[in-house]
Amino acid sequence: MKFPDMLRTAFLNLWRRKLRAFLTVLGMVIGTSSIVVMVSLGVGMRQSMIESYASMGSLTNITVNNYRYVETADGGGTFKDVKLDNKAVDKIRKLPGVEGAMPQITAWGMAMSGKYATDVSIMGIDMEQAELFGIKLEDGEYPGNKLAGGKVQMLLPYDFYNNFYDPNANRWSPAIDKDGNPKITSRSRLKLTFDYSNVYTNQPGDPGQQKGKIYTLVPTGRLAQGGNDFSWYCIMDIKVLEKLAKENPNRISLNKKNYNQVIVKCKEIDDVLTIKAQIEEMGFGASCIQEWLKQSEEQLKQTQYLLGAIGGVSLLVAAIGIMNTMMMSIYERTKEIGIIKVLGCRMSNIAGMFLTEAAYIGFFGGVLGLGLSYGLSLVLNNFLESSGFKSIIPLYLAVGALAFSVVVALISGLYPAMRAMKLSPLAAIRNE
Amino acid sequence: MEAVKNAAAAQPIIQTRNVKKTYRVGSVDIQALRGVDLSIMPGEMVSIIGPSGSGKSTLLNVLAGLEHVTSGEIVIAGKRLDKMNQSELIVFRQKHVGFIFQSFNLMPYYTAVENVAFPLSFRGMPRKRREALAVEALKVMGLGKHLKHKPSQMSGGQQQRVGIARALVTNPDIVFADEPTGNLDSNTSDDVMRTICEVMRSRNKTLVMVTHDPNMAMYADKIIKILDGRVVDIQLNEHPTYLTPRPKRAIGDELEEQSEQAENKKDNKQGDTQR
Repeated sequence: MKFPDMLRTAFLNLWRRKLRAFLTVLGMVIGTSSIVVMVSLGVGMRQSMIESYASMGSLTNITVNNYRYVETADGGGTFKDVKLDNKAVDKIRKLPGVEGAMPQITAWGMAMSGKYATDVSIMGIDMEQAELFGIKLEDGEYPGNKLAGGKVQMLLPYDFYNNFYDPNANRWSPAIDKDGNPKITSRSRLKLTFDYSNVYTNQPGDPGQQKGKIYTLVPTGRLAQGGNDFSWYCIMDIKVLEKLAKENPNRISLNKKNYNQVIVKCKEIDDVLTIKAQIEEMGFGASCIQEWLKQSEEQLKQTQYLLGAIGGVSLLVAAIGIMNTMMMSIYERTKEIGIIKVLGCRMSNIAGMFLTEAAYIGFFGGVLGLGLSYGLSLVLNNFLESSGFKSIIPLYLAVGALAFSVVVALISGLYPAMRAMKLSPLAAIRNE
Repeated sequence: MEAVKNAAAAQPIIQTRNVKKTYRVGSVDIQALRGVDLSIMPGEMVSIIGPSGSGKSTLLNVLAGLEHVTSGEIVIAGKRLDKMNQSELIVFRQKHVGFIFQSFNLMPYYTAVENVAFPLSFRGMPRKRREALAVEALKVMGLGKHLKHKPSQMSGGQQQRVGIARALVTNPDIVFADEPTGNLDSNTSDDVMRTICEVMRSRNKTLVMVTHDPNMAMYADKIIKILDGRVVDIQLNEHPTYLTPRPKRAIGDELEEQSEQAENKKDNKQGDTQR
């Protein structure tokens, strides 16, 4: 029997008993959609978890430290220093899958405006790599690499203006007016210094030293809020920071022989853990958000299995329904099966026909069940929006659920099909 | 009797040796066949006759490979049937055997063409080709006007003609018929038997028919009588009924033709309204 004939015959056989076929399909619809919706909630949980981790920093980044944790003989552990210099950075950059490696050169200074001031953490980066490392701007543009006329261009953290205070007041006095709005705004004139004695009038400063220079701070833009590892830094071009360091020799130390931290950007999110292992093999300490994510995923998996199992119960019931329907249909069609055996229908064709019928039930149940699941998922997402739960049906879940329901239907059709094969052709002769 | 004489030189197409069949009903053994020896030549038309319970149906089932024998040998078309398992028997039936049933056994939800084409689908024949063959076979049976009718829209005689077309469409060597006129009235029976015999003879097929009706048995060239599971008599029939002219009936042929036409009309109408 040709396959299209088999499909057609099996479909007609189902069509002849529309209501029963429909009810069996309905069982399968409920089974499939319950499993899909349950799993989709699990997928949604995982998604929200990943998103919450992603807001803590880029998932493709690895932070490399100039120390590492070593286990000692007594079972405890200690931190051991490692040299993290330009040579090491080059070596890391050359690892397969690494898109870039950026040493973090940081400095601390103070921004001033009138009598108010705020501490700033400054990071010098190569502006060409800024976008690569996910440094996104809320507004404005990236700063230039020139330090001319004492003007320093830099990006400010998102909430930069909220943090000003009066350093010389007797008690804590933030620069905030009666209405709670910051007194220092983007229209205020800003200055930058690396000498604290310029800010704190009660600090005399080192008498043996020259007073530190005061620069004009030119904000070029603000960093986007959250979503990366740098959002609380002021960011300027590395060349500018190097020049500033030269001009403030004792106040800024840029140790290019040993960086504190190097941020490594990976091309693929899947490679991150392998690359991290490779970096650790080179002797550096490394950490990444992926690692924590993995642990949380392990925990979430159990919840997902539980959800899947709950959905699976109704699929099991539906599978038994298929088996029942098929068995009944075989008892009803004993004579017909006898006739087609006499007419020369092969055993494999008979089994094939019944399996195809079962597969149809699984397939239609799966397709309709998926439709229902998408509908339920929409409704759930509307209702659960505020609770943080959400239901996501990714493509693999849809395809997988469809394939699974067909396979389940085939398995439940197996025993009935075997029964059909064993029926005697003599049933055709008997006259009831 | 030309065919029989020609066949005498050839090997028999069906040969049985000491075939026994015992059924076990509860704790009692019932011997349906107690040692049957037969040989049937290619192209022969044979009727097996006997009262009910004589074992004639069992013999037919055994010859058609629907049932296994308890002991003995069956050789059909050079193959040992008694040594085959169920799937081998199905393949054997596909190649060599056509079957005509007492209760027609048409698929009620299929049209005449689909019913006749059905056994060809088991051979993997494409749909267009098998339906063309089915249409041809139905036209030979005089059912050209009923191609799209379902069994419920046809008379008993017409249904059995569809059944005959279905048995022949696969071009088998042997056709087995199990009381082919058992569900038909006597006039229709006569028509159907004539159709069967004429078609078999024109294609030189072997026919093995089981009946309890001596009139029907007389259509064959050879009549095998069975009683209590044994062959008690084998008769050559010099004057098979299908070769004799149709008997004049009490109601004239003319009238019958008219009624036949009327029936056809009615059927067509019925078919139209049902569709």
